[in-house]
This record gives sequence, structure tokens and C-alpha cells, in this order.
Amino acid sequence: MRAVEIVVLISIILGFALLLTLGYQYLVPADDIRALAKFYLLTTYFNPNYTYTAGATESVTAIVWDYRGLDTLFETTVFYIALAGCLILARGLYKEEKEASKPGSGLSVIVRSVTKITAPMIIAVGVSIALHGHLTPGGGFQGGATMAVLPLLIIVIFSLTPLIKRGFTPSRLAIIRGLALTGIGLVSIILAVIGLVLGINAYVFQSLPKPDAPLGFPSEVEGALMGGILWFFNLFESIAVVAAFTIAFIAILLIESKR
Amino acid sequence: MLSIEAVLRGVGAALLCLGAFAGLVSAIGFYRFKNFYLRLHAATVGTIWGCVFPLIGASLISVTMDELGEVKWFAAGASIVTAAIVFLLAPAGSHALARAVHRAHVARVQPCISDALDPNLCG
Repeated sequence: MRAVEIVVLISIILGFALLLTLGYQYLVPADDIRALAKFYLLTTYFNPNYTYTAGATESVTAIVWDYRGLDTLFETTVFYIALAGCLILARGLYKEEKEASKPGSGLSVIVRSVTKITAPMIIAVGVSIALHGHLTPGGGFQGGATMAVLPLLIIVIFSLTPLIKRGFTPSRLAIIRGLALTGIGLVSIILAVIGLVLGINAYVFQSLPKPDAPLGFPSEVEGALMGGILWFFNLFESIAVVAAFTIAFIAILLIESKR
Repeated sequence: MLSIEAVLRGVGAALLCLGAFAGLVSAIGFYRFKNFYLRLHAATVGTIWGCVFPLIGASLISVTMDELGEVKWFAAGASIVTAAIVFLLAPAGSHALARAVHRAHVARVQPCISDALDPNLCG
């Protein structure tokens, strides 16, 4: 049995070595970019040869929120409806308690101190991922999910009391989330409404000014790239995602602890 | 006469080798140790000796890499910051794991000479 195990192990190692040695001849990524990818790469950032650009260096965020913004809006709505359904289903299974939990609950002082030190770092990383979503890989959802790690850590390490005491109750978080989604909706239609009032041609989900629609969000402020509508979408989306994940964590962990 | 680049590069390479050796030791300990707490100790050896020190070594080496240009300072700084964060977080995480397992009476201390926290878990 031992010998069989050793033979299997050695053959796996040799097989990987063979793959790594020979594989580079066949698995080299192609030098030429495909035509569709080239089109997106050229049109997402300012290019003098193209009239229509997204004004963002991150093609993925530009495609997700600018090229096909309506699609992403509906994805966000699906997430919202799923969370609303979860909250309605779990209604009555948990109570929003205001009183402090008994002293000595939570983890030891070592873990508490380290969490206090790392908490600002988590928030900083999440905010930078969200608000640089139009410049670097990331975006509102990813930044919000990163920031939502902090409430989870606080619930596990300090218990739920600090969150509730600071006013982050599930109902209030649901209101924050609703406001953030309202922000996304308002940002997407505000230019069309202004265009209707002023009698100028404008589109729903318009980001930068177009030749036939002169209204638009700023592409840069003080020399810093804004990516037009993308920055606002990332901001509101990250707030909505933080609130949503925090509600979900509170509901799940409270139901678990009340059993 | 040793130049400061050579010293930095040598110390960095030594730290990288130390990290590789610690990784091997940690893997052997992870496989061979008999109880949960000892295996956790081996895992922490892998994160502190096998992750923090190589990261510091990589940062020292990248300071000497002039062909990288400006980017070398970004690489060095990111390595140092990552090393500091891992240095802070890994002990806290393993401490929380060990404390939770011991308080929940999940894993016995075995083989055991003495357990001052809870003698019932000994043996």
C-alpha cells in the first residue's frame, strides 16, 4: 500500500513537471488580441479616432455599467429582491435587541485588539476598490463585499451589541440600501429628465456627452479621471452591497444563535 | 569592499531560503504532529517563518533591483506592509482557533504532560 502511494505521488509530481516543461510550447497566450477585445480596449478610454468612449481605463467596469448598464441595474435589483425575500422569510425568527449582551461574550482580548487595528484597513481597502472601480480592477460590488467583512468580524468577535448600539439595525440598514438603490436609479435617469425639461436630446444611462446629446457627467475632475457615470454607480452600489451583506449576516447569525 | 546592494541582496536571499526551509519544516510538522494544537503550531510556523520573513527578503531584494525603475519602491513597500499585516493577523487567527477548540472541548491534548487550563482535556 505504501509503495503504491509513493508511486502515485511520484508520478503526479513527474506529470506536473512534464506538463510545465512541455506545456509552455503550446500554452503560450496569443500575441494578437481578438478583434472584439481590441474594439473594447480602444473604445473604453479616450481615443481620438473614436467619437464614443466610456472615459474609463477599466474596460470591465465600463462594459458592466456603461455599455450594458440596464442589464447590471436589473442584476442589482435581483439581488435586492432576493435579500428582501430572505428578510421576509426570516421575519419573527430574530428580534432587534437593544440591551447589551452579557460581559465576557466574544473572543479574547488578543483577537479584539487585532480586529480594532485592522478595521480601518479593511474599510480603506474596500473604499479604494469601490471608488477606483473605473481605473483599476474592482468596482462597487467588490468594494462593498470587501467592506462587509468588517461587520461580519465585529459580529463574530465582539458580538452583535456594538453594531446595534451604533444604530446599524437590520431595518435601518434596509433603509440605507433602499436609498443607495434610489441613488443608482436617480443617477441613471437624471440626465434624461434634465434633457426633457430643457428640450435637449438626452438618453437614460447616458454617461459622457455624445455628439447628438450634449449633456453628460464629467469625465474628469481636477485632472482626476471620473469615468462619468461610473463613479456614481460604484459609490451607490458599494453602499447598497455593504448594507445588504450586513443585513444577511445579522439575520443568519441571529437565527443561528437563538436556537 | 562590499557594496550595500550586495549586502541587501544577500540578506534578502538568505531570508527567502529561510522561508523555503520553514515551509518544508511546517509541511512535515503538519503531516507528522499528533494532535490539533501541535498541527496548528506547525501551520503558524509556516505563516510567520515561511511568509513574513520571505516577504521582508523580497522587499530587500527589490530595493536593489534598479532595472525595475520606480516600481521597485512600490514592490518593496507592498511587501513590507503585507509582512506587517500577516505578522499581526496570523498569530491572532491561530490563537482564536486554538482557544475556541480548547474551550469547546473539541480536541483533546494528546500526548499530554500537563494542561493548566483544563485538566479534563489532558491525556
